[in-house]
Amino acid sequence: MNDIIAQLRENVIQGRMTRDDEGIDDTLTGPGVVELTQMALDNKLPVKDIIADGLTAGMEIVGEKFNAREYYVPDMLASAEAVSEAMDILKPHLKAADLAMKGNFAIVTVKGDIHDIGKNIVAILLKGAGYEVFDLGIDVPTDKIIDYVRENKPDFLGLSALLTTTMLVMGEIIEALKSEGLRESVKVLIGGAAVSKEFAREIGADAYCADGFEAVRVLDSYQAS
Amino acid sequence: MLIVGEKINASIKSVGQALLSKDEAFLINLAKDQVDAGADFIDVNAGVGGGSRENAITTMEWLINHVQRAVDKPLCIDSDDPAVLKAALNQYVGETVMINSVDAEPARLDAIGPLAAERGALLVALVMKEGGIPRTVEERLEAADAIMTRLTRLGVREDQIYFDPLVLPISVDTGQGLVTLKTIEQIKARYPSAKTIMGLSNISFGLPSRGIVNRSFFLMAAAAGLDAAILNPLDKQLMSLVKVANMLSNRDPMCRGFIRAYRKGLISD
Repeated sequence: MNDIIAQLRENVIQGRMTRDDEGIDDTLTGPGVVELTQMALDNKLPVKDIIADGLTAGMEIVGEKFNAREYYVPDMLASAEAVSEAMDILKPHLKAADLAMKGNFAIVTVKGDIHDIGKNIVAILLKGAGYEVFDLGIDVPTDKIIDYVRENKPDFLGLSALLTTTMLVMGEIIEALKSEGLRESVKVLIGGAAVSKEFAREIGADAYCADGFEAVRVLDSYQAS
Repeated sequence: MLIVGEKINASIKSVGQALLSKDEAFLINLAKDQVDAGADFIDVNAGVGGGSRENAITTMEWLINHVQRAVDKPLCIDSDDPAVLKAALNQYVGETVMINSVDAEPARLDAIGPLAAERGALLVALVMKEGGIPRTVEERLEAADAIMTRLTRLGVREDQIYFDPLVLPISVDTGQGLVTLKTIEQIKARYPSAKTIMGLSNISFGLPSRGIVNRSFFLMAAAAGLDAAILNPLDKQLMSLVKVANMLSNRDPMCRGFIRAYRKGLISD
């Protein structure tokens, strides 16, 4: 592997956004994710490799460490924010490299629910994983969500609810998508403290995601199929 | 420090199950255990009745009836739905009661405020407006102002109001601990008769060793003037800290509460 890309991967794992960031273990010095991404572009390294072997490979390790409880939310967020920043730098170069974002993902916290922390974590992880993320906000009425899907045709719709009261709205949204003839046009993923795999099945969602890393895995599995 | 025991909440799996199967023995035990551990109020949250308001109301009435017969501590009636709260208060026996909760949304204040005024109930008020949880002290104080103005107009006394300053995880924003603490201080300065209350566990979301983070934050909040906490009274370490906090913040004359708790073996050093 190219040395710059290998360094990029290590810096993603350390959540080092820039050269003056001490990173998670305070073991690395020199350029961080932002500088290394720019250096990789300046050295005409393939954008595909920068993303796959640098950013994505790094985030995969971060995900493993998070699942193993070696990393915690602040660690994971540091890496995700760094990768998200790198994707912003790379975005203008995707087309020339014959690459595209992996799909459009609209994410929203449902009507009656104002919790946004989980939603924001999922959004930043998906952005870092190469999805175009559209955050529709919190406490969004069902008809606004339906209008958005009709007009913008996102590939994926992520619904978030933390409360036992508001999780019921997710079922209403799926029913509304059906009655508007939009259900087949979009994959619906749900997440949040109150919901579960069983609940996703009950209301006819395509998937339940326990956390942001699972959301990335689920979406990537749709890419493969 | 007023302690509200948080364990009877439908969003806890075993409790949700007990409510569904009408297992009153399980719920009564949970109430008794919390009272024995030193809770001053027992929070009762009966869930949403699977989406049916009627069901939510009958479940809440059933729960209150059983818990009130088993323990002689007052309850904190916990629901988002004014209709559930109203039915619950009709069912409730006794003068002292807490309602959980309102926020600055005018419709909710207008629906629930009169219930609190009529009953003289203590009322938990989250300092947030529509459009999400405010990230800054200033926005939270604006919400507190809006709540205070509207509630007093509806006949609720300042000393009935328990403001929840809101606790957000520091794992996603390290400034949030201080935001909560400063909100408590400011509310106490602006409304000397009003009280403050908060839950503890949110602060440590996403971090390791959550227990020590929660307990430390509780102590800091007590120093900032916190009056009440919604917590798990079965957590012995936390309950010994409640005694310590009372003593260190000059709420335990002659340190008697602390020493008494020590003699009972309730203080873990």
